[in-house]
Amino acid sequence: MTIRHHATDETLMRYAAGQLPAGPARVLAVHLATCPCCRSRLGEFEAVGGALLEAMPLAPMAPDAFAAALRAIDAEPQYAAVSPLSRARAMPSAPVTLPGGIPLPAALRDCEIGPWRWIGLGVRASTVRLPEDRQARLTLLRVGPGRKLPDHGHVGTEFTQVISGSFSDGYGRYGPGDLSEMDQEIEHQPIVDPEGECICLAALEGSMRLNGFFGRLVQPFVRI
Amino acid sequence: MTRLMKDDGVPDGAELARLIGMVATERDRQAYARLYSYFAPRLNAFLRKSGLPPNTAEEIAQEVMLSVWRKASYFDATRAGAATWIFTIARNLRIDHLRRIRTAAASEDEQGEVETAPSGETLLLTAEREARVREALKTLSAEQATVLRLSFFSEKAHSEIARELGLPLGTVKSRVRLALGRLRVLLEGQS
Repeated sequence: MTIRHHATDETLMRYAAGQLPAGPARVLAVHLATCPCCRSRLGEFEAVGGALLEAMPLAPMAPDAFAAALRAIDAEPQYAAVSPLSRARAMPSAPVTLPGGIPLPAALRDCEIGPWRWIGLGVRASTVRLPEDRQARLTLLRVGPGRKLPDHGHVGTEFTQVISGSFSDGYGRYGPGDLSEMDQEIEHQPIVDPEGECICLAALEGSMRLNGFFGRLVQPFVRI
Repeated sequence: MTRLMKDDGVPDGAELARLIGMVATERDRQAYARLYSYFAPRLNAFLRKSGLPPNTAEEIAQEVMLSVWRKASYFDATRAGAATWIFTIARNLRIDHLRRIRTAAASEDEQGEVETAPSGETLLLTAEREARVREALKTLSAEQATVLRLSFFSEKAHSEIARELGLPLGTVKSRVRLALGRLRVLLEGQS
């Protein structure tokens, strides 16, 4: 998988800082799982966090805080033997594959994947619910080959990760593993490439007004 | 209380990593005390700066330090420096906390942890990356360093940046992008 479209530095910094909302953060997590380049850049921004932490002035803890920490440690069972496997999450009833036998990205395995619904013009959508944030709006889209999507601009940034197939807009061609970040100034007209349908994961930042393209598609589901 | 005595010098990254290793392998409380006295007050300040009220910041700083004890064996110096690793624990616990108070239903989930490539990155490269980032941060102009620092702490900080730098709010976002662009140039230039 050759990834041509990557996360912006701003998005990686916000993810590293823990400032990216849950929906876009999951889209990015799916991207990061397939993109060593962005993982490495994320590492840089996390190192910025480490450097900022070390550069902080000291805000003293309460005088008995360390003693309390030791008491908490003594009261705990032994943690030394905890293996990473024991932390694996329970998987709710998410299907393991997407239409066409495409595996569900590992970063979505703990999500509830809703049924596919036809929402017009060769487009189907499925709502993805996150265990950590029930309000987060995240959608899987399945768009037929050659479908021309209407021109649109939107409020807030739209994060779209291609899972299978491809689409093109004025900014290039987006294939599996590519991430498109379109902010509000941008008008673009994605067209799914003729070779086959395209499945992608989309989240909009800014949940107040869903008037982006995907937002309009998704609006009937989220009942705002 | 004697264990809380100040260290003679500020421990460097290698020393901090060694202390975490001693906590992991020997459950060494002396080493833990040194980590605690170095990181807890910094975490406390960091969490306050990111917008948490003082008592919450201290509670989470305490939680982070307990996680350091519990998860010391997960620390992998080939992936991240000691401060970077502890920063990510603090970030995740802060996210958990904010989600808990927002959704009444308590959830212990951490930010979706990403499987990182186990090989290919050596200890040396990680140490080099940490050094590179610190060098680049020092090379930024004062305004760019401020913009970067503030935007790292909070979304809301954009208005704070605007006030501090006397800029209209609308231009702050582009300044953040410029600062990030400069950081990128510095990071690439050194590698």
